[in-house]
Amino acid sequence: MHDLLYFCQQLINGLTIGSAYALIAIGYTMVYGIIGMINFAHGEIYMIGAYTALIAITGLAALGIAWLPIVLLVALICAVIVSSSMGWAVERVAYRPVRGRHRLIPLISAIGMSIFLQNYVHLAQGSRNIGFPALIEGGLRLGGDERFQLSISWIQITIFITTFICMSALSLFISRSRLGRACRAVSQDLGMANLLGIDTNRIISATFVIGAALAAVAGLLLGMYYGSVDPLFGFVAGLKAFTAAVLGGIGSIPGAMLGGLILGIAEAMTSGYLSGEYKDVISFSLLILILLFRPTGLLGKPEVEKI
Amino acid sequence: MNNYRRYALAASISAALMLPMAAAAEIRIGIAGPMTGPVAQYGDMQFSGARMAIQRINASGGVNGEMLEAVEVDDVCDPKQAVTVANRLVNEGVSFVVGHLCSSSTQPASDIYEDEGILMITPAATSPDITARGYELVFRTIGLDSMQGPVAAQHLISLEPERVAIVHDKQQYGEGIATAVRNELEEAGVNVVMFEGITAGDKDFSSLVTKLKQANVDYVYYGGYHPELGLILRQARQADLNATFMGPEGVGNKDINTIAGEASEGLLVTLPPSFDEKEENQELVKAFQDKGEDPSGPFVLTSYTAVQLIADGIEQAGSTDPFEVAEALREGTFETPIGTVSYNENGDMEAFEFVVYEWHADGSKTPVN
Repeated sequence: MHDLLYFCQQLINGLTIGSAYALIAIGYTMVYGIIGMINFAHGEIYMIGAYTALIAITGLAALGIAWLPIVLLVALICAVIVSSSMGWAVERVAYRPVRGRHRLIPLISAIGMSIFLQNYVHLAQGSRNIGFPALIEGGLRLGGDERFQLSISWIQITIFITTFICMSALSLFISRSRLGRACRAVSQDLGMANLLGIDTNRIISATFVIGAALAAVAGLLLGMYYGSVDPLFGFVAGLKAFTAAVLGGIGSIPGAMLGGLILGIAEAMTSGYLSGEYKDVISFSLLILILLFRPTGLLGKPEVEKI
Repeated sequence: MNNYRRYALAASISAALMLPMAAAAEIRIGIAGPMTGPVAQYGDMQFSGARMAIQRINASGGVNGEMLEAVEVDDVCDPKQAVTVANRLVNEGVSFVVGHLCSSSTQPASDIYEDEGILMITPAATSPDITARGYELVFRTIGLDSMQGPVAAQHLISLEPERVAIVHDKQQYGEGIATAVRNELEEAGVNVVMFEGITAGDKDFSSLVTKLKQANVDYVYYGGYHPELGLILRQARQADLNATFMGPEGVGNKDINTIAGEASEGLLVTLPPSFDEKEENQELVKAFQDKGEDPSGPFVLTSYTAVQLIADGIEQAGSTDPFEVAEALREGTFETPIGTVSYNENGDMEAFEFVVYEWHADGSKTPVN
């Protein structure tokens, strides 16, 4: 009985962290899907989202506003606005001027952007860990006995539900809306989409903005879940989310979701049944194996050589 | 080619002319520690203590008539950065260093200082390896993990735990002290059910906490620093883990309260005794308070002492040659704010005490027993 509960608990831990990876991975996968490049500053945008949310929460607390829905909503809106503008700015500064050059050039400029943002936050907010107030406390306790109960905290449930809503909304947006159709067209053939009168610059900006907005949501949720933020907050998370995107098939949105969940569960199970020391070893071995046997990832489409 | 040679010659001549002039005016002391990065608050303690010592020594006429001058560098507690700043101190012509702070950055930096003939006193690095290599110019004003581990282990043993878990951050300091505690506990027949590493900088400890819960432990010893332990405490509380945590001095600072909040109540910490509460230090404590600084951090007065020892060593040796100063430090006995200091052959203090404190959610601490 305990063993089963233990397994379920680790599964829940893995699903929570996996959902968050998935939210961040969307940003990588969308940008890759559209312009075929990796946005290495994406982890930093997620970190800035978390910081903005924290600043908003602290500000509201100073004003004496403590009603949870308002606090969360305001924090979310602030984080999304700031991160989205960052996403937009990253594209304008680091990608657009060098678009169409050798593939390595935007890669380097994005890494530069990432270093810049990280250090900017270092200077502006200090390098220490800042505690994130636990806004959503408590949770459900299921089954078991005194010694071991299955516990799902409200914040974990919030993370699942928010991720699910964001993912569904995004899928609907891509498949049904006008802008979504334009996104798909640009991702299939940028040049042709341009000839057909689609404002490709706008579409590419929109992609960065959507990815950044989702990263901001993840920043707020994970900030609350973990309990602290620091300027390196985005580095590891960005790396993991990137792995998730590649695992699921970079360029594919359901792939990012699947990749995130697989990675999250793999990590939780490794820490749970082997040792936390091997967590990263297992997740990155998984990546290498997938790349060896299925280079396009689990749900990725094989790349067709465009002539 | 010829031109380059000429420039190089001109540069070296002017350098040769300038260096002795600078050295005659003052004794330059490098202060190396983290000004930025996740453990910068310990760096603040170190810089605050060292600056105060330099200021007070200069105010009372310097050392043998020469003034002390600080050269401050930031190693971010990163071993790579530590090597870079150590080389910079070499280039600055520094003969004495107070630093570094983290054991993992002290070790590579000490290689450079030893090779270049620079005397180093670390006010905070507790890894036994640092002084175990027979280096001539390496000293410390703090105890060793091998002294701190047993204090923690003895305290745990006295609490008669049924099941203990030991977690560490896989770094030199954390894993070293965790291993020392485990060995001591196992020798005493305590049931250590888990010994596991985490990754420093990680944020998600839910799996670890679940594992601790499953293992049904009543005490957890953590070897590492506060950013990770703060999160573990907080996530453990969320998951209803009922265990008492204990950690080394790397977790005992007020930042753990901002991360863990209420969950930091009741945490046990081994710390150097509160030197700032000693009677004979009250005048010094007041000097810190007048400057608006807090002398209660574990490394403030150890850093102060490191500077003072360098000054005393120079005075006793009657020379600023690091080797002669090292000789004087090994031979002499010194009255300092952290007590009477005398050194053994390795450069470790003959005696250094660690005390167990209970930490509170408001950032204060009370001695246990």
